[in-house]
Amino acid sequence: MDVTHDVSSATDSVEVRVRASPSLISAVRVVAADLAARADFDLDAVSDLRMAVDEACSALVAVAAPDAVLCCGFGLGPDHIVATATVAVSAPTAIRQDTFGWRVLATLADSAEVISEQDGSKPWIGIRLRKDRNTG
Amino acid sequence: MTEHSGRTVEPSSERSPSTDSDAGYDYLAPMLAEFASLRADGPRRETLRDQLVKGHLPLARHIARRFAHRGEPVEDLEQVATVGLIHAIDRFEPGRGSDFLSYAVPTITGEVRRYFRDKAWATRVPRRLKDLRLAIGTAVPELSQRLGRAPTPGELAEHLQRSRDEVLEALEAANAYRSTSLDDMLVDDPSSGRLADVIGAADLELEQVEYRETLQPALQKLPQRERTIVMLRFFGGMTQTQIADRVGVSQMHVSRLLARTLSQLRRELTDSG
Repeated sequence: MDVTHDVSSATDSVEVRVRASPSLISAVRVVAADLAARADFDLDAVSDLRMAVDEACSALVAVAAPDAVLCCGFGLGPDHIVATATVAVSAPTAIRQDTFGWRVLATLADSAEVISEQDGSKPWIGIRLRKDRNTG
Repeated sequence: MTEHSGRTVEPSSERSPSTDSDAGYDYLAPMLAEFASLRADGPRRETLRDQLVKGHLPLARHIARRFAHRGEPVEDLEQVATVGLIHAIDRFEPGRGSDFLSYAVPTITGEVRRYFRDKAWATRVPRRLKDLRLAIGTAVPELSQRLGRAPTPGELAEHLQRSRDEVLEALEAANAYRSTSLDDMLVDDPSSGRLADVIGAADLELEQVEYRETLQPALQKLPQRERTIVMLRFFGGMTQTQIADRVGVSQMHVSRLLARTLSQLRRELTDSG
């Protein structure tokens, strides 16, 4: 079954695709941290982004369709990184924003939003978050 | 087999093992059989387990001493061997024909070997990276103080007069490290002074999160230091560097503890919800 979907943006510098499984999230997390460290983010920001991507991917893997692919694009701005993670879903799904998990995500990232396209034949849901170079 | 609570299995003193010979442990065999037959949560299991560990301790010591010439403290080796012994006691199935010693000896030896293998891995990180990691450990709080935030790899490189690639490599190696006991220093007492104020404010913030009926008990289960760090980061609005300063551990250790605690909380909240 083909349940991939395409919402990647041409401006993303890096894209990582893994099967939507908890055990593969670490691959996405490592890429996120490496990009931030090489873009000279401060150590707090690097660690925050690593954990935020982990949290976002965990939330998405939990609602993903069977056999779905977790797709995470990273756009590098001059002073920030935007991470956009998405998965295909088999039925319309929401990600609650009044949970501890979302609290964690919103605290770690400088901004976080849920994005989705659920009307078409290939519904998907995602989380887009932005992390600035310097914390505090 | 039923549990005979009236029967005592205390070893008589004249039969306790005074040598490492196999025969010295024969008296423990009925206890092993009874132990294996008990349900995992029975209260009697605890007592029996303690007696079995104590009774077989000379065996663990004997195996530990065989590795004594390799440069590790004998006390550490004996501890590791005891862990192996406990595994052996827990996993041994008397019904399968083999006797306990022929099962326990390789289990204990394996545990000690694994200890040496892990140790070797930790020392395989190149010397220059270790030195740089130490230098970074000192530089991070210093630069944080000056900058009012955590430093970037570039700032660390400049401060230490090393290339940025080297610093990135050392930071990566630092992430791969398991925390050492040196990192595990005590936290400030949260019930005293300013920390109590911050935690109090964080507790109020917590009230606004949905599912706090499941979150609260999960947080309560955490060790006090981990709970403090989670509360300060996610409900007290503090950065990792500020928390490191307040709690008295390094920023890198706060980072590791947070990541570990978050995945633990996530598991717990998913299981209960």
